[in-house]
Amino acid sequence: MKRTVDVNIPLGPIHPCFKEPARLKCEAKGERIVGVEVELGYMKKGIERIMKGRPWQEVMFLAERVCGICSVIHNMVFIEAMEQISGITVPPRAAYLRVIANELDRMQSHLLANFSYCYTIEHETLGMYLLDLREQVMDELERLTGARVTCAYMIPGGVRCDILPENAELLQVSLDRIEKDLRRYTGMFADGPMIALRSRGVGILTQEAAQRAHAVGPTARASGIPADCRLNHPTYRQLGFVPDCRQDCDNYSRIMVRFDEVARSIALIRKCLQELPSGVIRGGGICKAGETRYSGEAPRGELTYFIRSDEFGRIVDIQIQTPSIMNIEACCHEMIIGADSIADVTSTFVSADPCIACTER
Amino acid sequence: MGYSLIWYLKEFARTAWIKKFLFAKTAPLTTPSYFRGFPEPTGRICQHALFCMMACPAPGAIEVVHAGNGWMPRIHKGHCIRCGLCVEACPHGVLKSGRILETMEREGSSLLFSFRIAIDPDLCTGCGNCATACPVNKQIDAQLGAGGHSSSEEVIMRVLDGDVQVLHEEKCTGCKTCETSCPTRAIQIARILEGTQQPPEGSGP
Repeated sequence: MKRTVDVNIPLGPIHPCFKEPARLKCEAKGERIVGVEVELGYMKKGIERIMKGRPWQEVMFLAERVCGICSVIHNMVFIEAMEQISGITVPPRAAYLRVIANELDRMQSHLLANFSYCYTIEHETLGMYLLDLREQVMDELERLTGARVTCAYMIPGGVRCDILPENAELLQVSLDRIEKDLRRYTGMFADGPMIALRSRGVGILTQEAAQRAHAVGPTARASGIPADCRLNHPTYRQLGFVPDCRQDCDNYSRIMVRFDEVARSIALIRKCLQELPSGVIRGGGICKAGETRYSGEAPRGELTYFIRSDEFGRIVDIQIQTPSIMNIEACCHEMIIGADSIADVTSTFVSADPCIACTER
Repeated sequence: MGYSLIWYLKEFARTAWIKKFLFAKTAPLTTPSYFRGFPEPTGRICQHALFCMMACPAPGAIEVVHAGNGWMPRIHKGHCIRCGLCVEACPHGVLKSGRILETMEREGSSLLFSFRIAIDPDLCTGCGNCATACPVNKQIDAQLGAGGHSSSEEVIMRVLDGDVQVLHEEKCTGCKTCETSCPTRAIQIARILEGTQQPPEGSGP
């Protein structure tokens, strides 16, 4: 890095505020940040290389293990890409169950992201409340799929297991409880004067800057760009999904967008449970040869799989494009520049919810 | 200062607080019944179809071994990722994990294997190792010789005019013995898995 100032502060790769290792090299003038460079590559797994030459039943589990906090969407996008290649149709009941699993996963991911922001601005109480809420969401995910994190719920042509009527009722009850708590915690965050001091007007990412940096997901939606891949998904269209946007462009609005989306997910799951069609959950179908590009909305933004498969449905070539890299770039080139203190660097970085495991794969 | 000190003393002198402080117990951690744990045997007899080993995405997590007077799948817990595919792939219900087996039986869902044989004609030398090594071939035509030649039309594959030809792909059991015995890696078995469901008669969704 070219040295333009005399204070150069490295943050990370081991840092108590970061969930995963990344290094931020900040150039500071006094306490004001004038330039940031991000250094990645501390957890490269080479998972795309391992996937090559394997059939879907093995790649499905590898895809889940790309990222621990958004595993369901990796499974979903991979499986739906394979279905697009092979022309497999999903029974409506299975499509709705997929949405339920995906939205539960989005809820837990957003709650974890908001926990980590609260933890970074030293509001541990609210952070722990949110973690506690996340545990309840994880329990629901476990009740539905049988596992908390690596659910492996979707397979080509459907899902692994059906939701039982009594479990659907329990899910309704839990959703009511979670929504009540969520409203309280959202209020705590929205009205907290100390939280506002650390969050409002910090880490501004204007709409133009977000477009320039190709920000995706909640980071873009907090800057007033209503971009969401769920708008293109047939099941979400059926459910009448509308994305949540905010116009404030700062840390506060990024966290609030996530809170709004958790509430939106709860509403989506309720609607799914109400309108759950009857019928089978697996349509069958064999994976075939083809090449495709398929996108889905991960909790952090647009997730894209480029897949080429051979005649037996084995993966010949696969590339994964994850949302976090764009958000990290937006963070380093637009948000953090001009931050008033080093403490704001970590909180701004965490507010963009960077997922390093996804980014480096 | 004085006021808050009194407040704290009063707070901590409450019997309820002291009781909670000294005797509080968190509820014991329990594994819910629906948790997808390591596969366990149900007691049904293993028919040695080996579909569990074929479906397993984790290398070396499951193997079917001799136990007593029959076969039994053995799980290596350090390798198992608890995905439950072996439970779903087993046609005889030998293993169970969480509520996978009971859901399968209730919903009539299963994972079906089909096997496809692909031979690269550029690599194949016509040595006949594959046809000789194939255990199904051996059963059908006990006379099958070292060159892989056979007069039977019922074998899976045989060598004819210096090239191996596949006659009955549908008889393949997916053991991949041919693949491991091929010196040039010309033959490849694809194990294709398909998730299907046939809801049992008279059961509502």
